[in-house]
Amino acid sequence: MLSIKNLTASINGTPVLKGIDLEIKAGEIHAIMGPNGSGKSTLGKVLAGHPAYEVTGGEVLFEGQNLFEMDADARARAGLFMGFQHPIEVPGVSNASFLRLAYNKKAEAEGRDELDPLEFDDFIREKIKLVSMREEFLDRSLNEGFSGGEKKRNEILQMAVLEPKLAILDELDSGLDIDALRVLGDAVNKLQRADRALLIITHFPRILETIQPQFVHVLSGGRILKSSGKELAVELEERGYDWVLEEAAAGGAR
Amino acid sequence: MTLAATSNLVAELLAGPRPAEWGELREAAETRLAGRDLPTTRDEDWKYTDLKALAGLSFAPAPKATVDISGHLLPEMVGTRQVFVNGHHAPHASCASAVPAGVRFFPMSHASEACHALGSVPNGKSAGLFEDLNTARFQDGAVILVPKNMKVALPLHLLFITQANAPVAVFPRVLVVLERGSELELVEEHHGSGTYLTCPVVEIHVAEGAILRHERVQRDDAEAFHLGTLKAEVAKGGQYHSRTLSFGARLSRQQPWVRLAEGAEASLDGLALLEGQQVADTHSFMHHTEPNASSHQLHKCIVDGKARAVFNGRVRVAPLAQGTDAKQQSRNLLLSESARVDTKPQLEIYADDVKCSHGATVGALDPEELFYLQSRGLNADDARNLLTYGFAADVLTHVPVASLRRALRQLVMARTQAGSLGDLS
Ligand SMILES: Nc1ncnc2c1ncn2[C@@H]1O[C@H](COP(=O)(O)OP(=O)(O)OP(=O)(O)O)[C@@H](O)[C@H]1O
Ligand SMILES: [Mg+2]
Repeated sequence: MLSIKNLTASINGTPVLKGIDLEIKAGEIHAIMGPNGSGKSTLGKVLAGHPAYEVTGGEVLFEGQNLFEMDADARARAGLFMGFQHPIEVPGVSNASFLRLAYNKKAEAEGRDELDPLEFDDFIREKIKLVSMREEFLDRSLNEGFSGGEKKRNEILQMAVLEPKLAILDELDSGLDIDALRVLGDAVNKLQRADRALLIITHFPRILETIQPQFVHVLSGGRILKSSGKELAVELEERGYDWVLEEAAAGGAR
Repeated sequence: MTLAATSNLVAELLAGPRPAEWGELREAAETRLAGRDLPTTRDEDWKYTDLKALAGLSFAPAPKATVDISGHLLPEMVGTRQVFVNGHHAPHASCASAVPAGVRFFPMSHASEACHALGSVPNGKSAGLFEDLNTARFQDGAVILVPKNMKVALPLHLLFITQANAPVAVFPRVLVVLERGSELELVEEHHGSGTYLTCPVVEIHVAEGAILRHERVQRDDAEAFHLGTLKAEVAKGGQYHSRTLSFGARLSRQQPWVRLAEGAEASLDGLALLEGQQVADTHSFMHHTEPNASSHQLHKCIVDGKARAVFNGRVRVAPLAQGTDAKQQSRNLLLSESARVDTKPQLEIYADDVKCSHGATVGALDPEELFYLQSRGLNADDARNLLTYGFAADVLTHVPVASLRRALRQLVMARTQAGSLGDLS
């Protein structure tokens, strides 16, 4: 589904990603962990097509297509979704009409029927149940004045509406209370299927108990230093990152 | 100092006969106007708004006319409207049958009652030349009196329509008096076609504990000049909330003055959508005269083409006015390289225990917001149009009359190219 080869990227001339290799196949769940500032969000935003980041080398194929030949919106319509660490507030645009617009743009691209406001109303009512969101949040402006946790809930609602092939969820768990973490974790699991894939960016193994990855990667200094099974998350929690860095340094010196 | 030349627009506007009623008021205004001409950009107050284009024109008094108002009717206000065409009351277009008993809502030309009303409330210091011109020459206007403790359920609707086959000048006038503890929603709209000058004056008295919500819609012709004055006195614990939405006029200036007594609340929100060569100027004056009053201003402009927006937000906190809470925000979205915004707060704070905040932003759309929308599958144009729409529609969120809110949103959608995005309301 996603194939990243030796990806390098910089922001404002500063290299942040320094050679990333990662293969994600349909049906798989991957997790990326790593110290603050190591480039996790950058990787997500580069994949999603944020214009501020410059891709300086390497290649990324998404479903066989060169990702960098597509604008951010084309990537989204092709089935890539990024759940942001810090979702943006958009005053004046109601959550419901934004969700309907996004849904219809994707439907249009896929040659499916668009939904009129009434049809969408029925559709979204089902979706908000999945994330246990109260209806009043549909009438509010997109993310405006939402708490940190409410914004994350809204990200997963968007994911549920768009049903992406690949969802990159950047720190979904930060700012969530215990119940919300369980609800949204379950929602993400329900959305996961054999023809879809997930990339979970997190600092904590807790969310990985609900959304169980087959692969855990450690990203540090713009490189993936270690990849292993889900037991790595627990080991990282117990031991921190230093040993991974040391191991990698030793490996590099060899 | 030489007196103004004979081509003086002020003199020309005063040349016609002085209407008979309110002789003293009018005489005083004429005295203040004697020898005066239009302000120029050398006037600090008019530095950014050049009236040259106005000075070059000549306006006749507006004749009576009939217009079709069916496009302006709002279902929530079927029997609560007074309509004025070219400054004259239009009895056949007006309908006040649903106005609750006790509320007085009538044209000033019903003189006996109006005489009393207009004379009985202090008008305060004149806000300037355009108020004086109105006072000297207004033909008619609306009076609204809400008795003590009456909470009026239906909003009242004021429609001022100008139809100018040749350039005309009109002087709409409104007096609103809310007695103690009363509540009212008022919608004031200005529409028109042709080249004209309109100088509305709205005077408002909100007594102790009374609440007025005032929606103001300016949709004058693209060739019109709109130079408006609003003066609101808000007594102890009273509230005055207004929202001024400016869409039309070649040049418009809104001059809202609000005086707040102890514990009063006021908000003056504004939205201006400008394109082409339009100029929209707002010079507001929020005057905290007594303790513990709070005021709030959110002024937004979207400026495209070679248009120009001006905002000057004066806030005065008198020495007595401890505990004042005053917030002011001016936010401006520039959609073209040649669009221009001049925005400035003017804080005059003479008390020490106050909370005053102000902020101004001028710029293009936020790239992070654009990216967020694009990451959900909207193409760049749709994302831009949606954000532009949202920037404006934000001001409309709390418009209380549903059909008006809808109509305004549609207007904003059309003006922000968001129409292609479907129903956003
Ligand atoms: N706009 C920018 N200008 C300059 N540096 C930036 C910019 N954006 C990101 N960076 C830098 O890039 C590096 C990687 O940032 P990134 O947000 O990807 O880290 P992260 O791994 O997601 O960290 P965290 O765990 O704290 O979320 C950081 O050192 C950051 O300061
Ligand atoms: Mg991050």
